[in-house]
Formats: sequence, C-alpha cells, structure tokens
Amino acid sequence: MATRLQEVDAVMVGMGWTGSILARELAKAGLTVVGLERGEDLTPRENFALPAVRDELRYSYRLELIQDPALETVTFRHRPSESALPMRRFGSFLPGNSVGGAANHWGGQHWRYLPSDHLTRSHIVERYGAKAIPDDMTIQDWAMTYDELEPHYDKFDKLCGVSGKAGNLRGQKIEGGNVFEGPRSNEYPTPPLIMGESGLMFAKVAKELGYHPFPQPASNASRAYTNSEGLTLGGCQYCGFCERNGCEANAKAGPHVCVLPVLRADPKFTLRARAWVSRLSYDKAAKKVTGVVFTDTRTGEEYEQPAGLVVLSAYVFGNISLLLNSGIGEPYDPITQKGAVGKNYCYQLSRLGVTLYFEDKVFNPFMGSPGTQMVMDNFDGDNFDHSGLGFLGGCKIQLGHADGRPISYRPVPPGTPRWGSAWKKATAKWYQHAARITLSGSNYANRYNFIDLDPTYKDQLGRPLLRMTYNFVENDYKVADYCMDIALKIARAMNPTMMGPPGLRRGDYNTVPYQSTHNTGGTIMGNDPKTSVVNRYLQAWDADNLFIMGASTFPQQPAYNPTGPVGALAYWSAEAIVTKYLKSPGPLVHA
Amino acid sequence: MRHRWIVGAAALLLAPSVSPVAAADVEHGKALYQTCAACHTERPDALGPSLKGVVGRKSAALEDFRYSNPMKRANLIWDEDNLRAYIRDPQATVKGNRMPYGGLTDAKDVDDIIAYLKLLK
Repeated sequence: MATRLQEVDAVMVGMGWTGSILARELAKAGLTVVGLERGEDLTPRENFALPAVRDELRYSYRLELIQDPALETVTFRHRPSESALPMRRFGSFLPGNSVGGAANHWGGQHWRYLPSDHLTRSHIVERYGAKAIPDDMTIQDWAMTYDELEPHYDKFDKLCGVSGKAGNLRGQKIEGGNVFEGPRSNEYPTPPLIMGESGLMFAKVAKELGYHPFPQPASNASRAYTNSEGLTLGGCQYCGFCERNGCEANAKAGPHVCVLPVLRADPKFTLRARAWVSRLSYDKAAKKVTGVVFTDTRTGEEYEQPAGLVVLSAYVFGNISLLLNSGIGEPYDPITQKGAVGKNYCYQLSRLGVTLYFEDKVFNPFMGSPGTQMVMDNFDGDNFDHSGLGFLGGCKIQLGHADGRPISYRPVPPGTPRWGSAWKKATAKWYQHAARITLSGSNYANRYNFIDLDPTYKDQLGRPLLRMTYNFVENDYKVADYCMDIALKIARAMNPTMMGPPGLRRGDYNTVPYQSTHNTGGTIMGNDPKTSVVNRYLQAWDADNLFIMGASTFPQQPAYNPTGPVGALAYWSAEAIVTKYLKSPGPLVHA
Repeated sequence: MRHRWIVGAAALLLAPSVSPVAAADVEHGKALYQTCAACHTERPDALGPSLKGVVGRKSAALEDFRYSNPMKRANLIWDEDNLRAYIRDPQATVKGNRMPYGGLTDAKDVDDIIAYLKLLK
C-alpha cells in the first residue's frame, strides 16, 4: 500500500530541462512544487569537475550519465509483423538519467525550428498540393506558429546564453547568420565561438558555391554570461568534452547551471531524487489526474504524491509509458489509425557524412565544441524547391571539429586495416588532418512507426516495457541521397588529398551505433483530440490538469536538434498555465 | 645547449620585474573578472572557491572547498607574483590543478585583475 504524502499544488515527473523550467515558473507563481527524479541528484561541483569529467571511457563507453537498461528499457522491432526484443544496451540513442536529465550529456546544439517546420503539413499542401504527401506519411502541423512561439524561443536563448549570429533580426536578413531562420526579436546572447580551420575552409567553399554558411548556434556560452535567472555561465574552454559529459567550466547550458540553483533555494520547491514514478492516479470520469505514484529506488517503498497539477517532464519514453501504463488516452493502432498515444514516433537521420583528408592542413581536432562548426541550411526542411524530387524534408549540412576525443575519434582513409600496427600508424598520421562533412536530416512521421506496450517484457517495477516499431522509409533514404550529393559537391570543391566513401545508411535502421538522442513524438500536439494527445498549450485532452512537455509533443522531426524548441515549449506552456489555467482551471482549448 | 638555456633563464629572472608602466585599471579588471565569477561565486555549490580575501592568503586555505591534490600540495602564498604566474598559466604554475581555465596572455590584463582581486574582501 502506497504511503500517501501531503498534497502539493504541482508535481513534476522528471527533473531535466522541462521539469526544472516548469518547476521554476510555477513556484514563481506561488505554487508549492515537488520535483520527482528517477535518478540520483548531481551537482556540477562534485560531478562535473576536472579531471574526472574528461573521462571518455567512463562517460562515452560506460555511459555513466545514461539510463540503466537493466531497470527500464524499450523493446524494438522494425515492423509490426515482427516480435520485439528488449534493448539491453543503449546505442542508437542515449536517454539521460539523474537530476538534469539528458541536458547533462547533450552537446549544446541549440536551434529554433523553421517557420515552415511549424506548419509542416499545410505548408507542403499549399506549395506542392495534397497529393505530394504519401498516404502513409502522417505529418501534421504544430499547434502554434513560429511567430507565436518566438518570445519563448527568445526566453530560452536568454536562459542558456546561446552563442551564435542572427541571420534574421526582426525581418532583416543578415549575411553570415542563418538567412533561412525565422525572424528573431534579439541577437544571440553571446557571440559565436571562435571557429576552427576546418569550419572556415568549409564556409569559404560553401559560400563560393552560392550557399549560406553560418556558425552553429550553441548553448556553449562564448564568454561569461549572466542569464535571465541571474546565474552566471562561464566562457567555453573548447575542451571537446561537451556531448556525453558534464561541463567543467559552467559554459554548457543545463538545468544545473541555468535554473536549479535558484530552484533549490526556493522554499516552495522540494526535490526528490531516486523517486521513480510508476503511474499517474487518473479519474477518467472527471478527466483529471489526482497525483502520481512513485517508488523510492533505495528502499523499494511506494508513495503516492497527490497534486493539483501534474507535469510529465520525463524523456519521450517516460511520458508515453506513463500515459499507457495509467490508462490515459487511446493507444494508437496503425491498422485502424485510431488512437493517438504512441502515434508519430520519429527519429533523426544523423551521423551521415563524408570524411576528407588534407595532407597539408592541421586541424587540432581536440579543441572545439558543437559551436565550432559551420552549418548551411540551403537544403534543410522546405528551404529548397522539392518539385519533382520525390521526397519531402531535407538536411542541415555542416563541418567543424567538435570533439576529437582520444578513443572515438580515429579517422583513417579507406583501405586501412581495422586493427594492428597499420591501423595505429594511420590513426597517428591522419588524426590532425581529417575533417568530416556531416548531415542531419528530417524524419517525417510514418503510419507504421509507433510506440505501444510490449506484450512480453516488463521493467523492474513490473510494468510492461514500451515497444518501439520503427524503420527508416523510402522518403528518408531519398532525403539522405539528395543531400549527400550536395555534400560531395562541396567536398570535391574543398580539394582534399583524398576522400572517404559517402557514409549513408542502407537497409533497416540499426539500433546499435550511436546516431542521436533525438527521439520524438508519441504524445503529439494538435488541434484535434482524435489525432493528438495534447492541445496547443501542451495540456492533455484527456485530463485538463495534466501537461506534457518535451519532444514527445513534436508531430514529426525536422532536421534540427530538438532541445531549443523543447525549452521554448516549456516556457510557452508555463505561461499558459500561469496566466490562463490557474485563473480558471479547465480545458484551455475546446475541441 | 641545455647549459646555455639555463643561463638564459637565469638572466631572465635577474631582469627587472615586469612592472607595468601604466597603473593597473581596476574597472577593467572588474570587467575581466566576470569570466572568473562564473565559477568563483559565494554560493555554497559554486564550482570554484571564494576569492574574497584571496590576495595574501595561503593556497588551498578554505575549509568548505574541496581542492585538488596538486593545489593542496602547492603550498603557495597568493601574493602578487604567485597570482600573476597562476593567472597567466594555471597549469604551468600548479600542474594538475583542476581549474578549467587556459590563462590570460596579456600582462596588463593580469595586473588589472589582480588590482581588482585586492579589493575583494
């Protein structure tokens, strides 16, 4: 029997970016807030300090900041006709764990989605006609436009101290920034990081070919910055241990640096780490949640935390799992296409690219951060004419040295043996002289890519695991092929000593090599309760006091990394809760 | 060769100390200090130790900060010379310390920061 705790105004399920932001905004509005986190508590002072934090083996290979699959994982199959098997080691994607969530180990690539990404379906219909969209491509519009979300994108920028250069300031296009981005109300909080040689070479050639390269916007502050919470970020030290590691210099934005110090000092807020939420208490008739049930992972004891408002701020999988395991909403069925929970699971085409070798150049790849890359968006989203191409979506194309770490970064030319003295010699010879153009592509929703509950396998608490049914489809391969041709054109124009083969993915999606932790969808936003789980304020259609944060609300995945919009949506939803919902609790949208 | 290098280094040490011609600019030092302040705050969970009263203090002196072993062994007094050397090149001065900072190359900048540090009490 669960021990019933004292009721609070609001409870957060998961204390990463969105849980921290919502907790802060709600506590600021006077609510008592409890933040529950499945993992342990961390502090930068103890956990992200030198020299231990620059341990590639510990964090990149032994995955110390990542969810333990022995406790909870997902099962996987490529298509509905197969039986799924559990992923016993995370590879393709790495869900975070502990206070700070995946923001502890993100790299910091910080984007806003394109205005056309916010209107994916209607934009395509308007430009190419409804027939351009294949029958099984279940793309939808976002439930708010770019312009509506802009003030919240701006707010998140100022929380993070993002470094970069504007390409569209209040409608004025600026060369050197991303001229394809939506209008920004403000310049980036800190200037771009210092670009390395490889990024500059790429930018020069891309510009000569008529494209529009710009520095990667990054939540790696380029200099000391005091954020919107009055907290200070340090300047990036270019150590190259951003992704997979905590930041030793306070320069990579994350809840620990940007929000939590203020929250921890607020008496209205209580943090409970090692509190693993197993289900929500749901009153289906009243369309309300009444609280959450969690297990203390140290003692195994169960507690019920009653709350007036519940915020699902877990990772994509946690959010979907808690809905399905609590009986909230209708599970999606790919045959009838009824139900919305688990629908439109999307991923990302990533880590595609081509490696170039320059005998006479020295790149110092050990220095960098995600912000020391140059990017071009000419072939991203709908920034180019898709007429007659036979696919929708696109890629961002980039080059720069972000993390030339000693174990994983060993570029060797084609034909080099995989091990032994010849391999060692080649890695020593080429470490300084290789650079890779990489592609990251959109992934549009497909009818048969979805998440539901596994009929066989259970987690440590005895709940059914989530089952992922997913594969890349023809559209994805066409996007990748088309953008790879552009990358090869740039590569040849850069005139390298030699080039590796185009790195594309063929055949079924492989869950083993790391690609990206950009899992999206499953609790998507929309204007119709039949085809979405949350409304435009991220309020659940099936419980008006339940709000669902994060990338699980994205109807499909654009080419960009998801964290920027995740933060913006958190502020957008928090504002709706504080200014609308608290004044008159109930559905904020009547469908 | 090695002998000549040592003689050269000794000559450098004997050269007049690099005292700036212009007086240190405290305001400029304060502006530069913002980079330090990202970690060296008074918060209990700060990444770096408090620098209030650091000038003249013994190294690794604060009880509420977990210093690295190299810093604990350094046994320095943070007088101007030691601070100057440390801010210019932290790893050369206390090898293996865990301050994630590459150093300041401009001698005037270093003096300005030290002038500001003297005011932190």
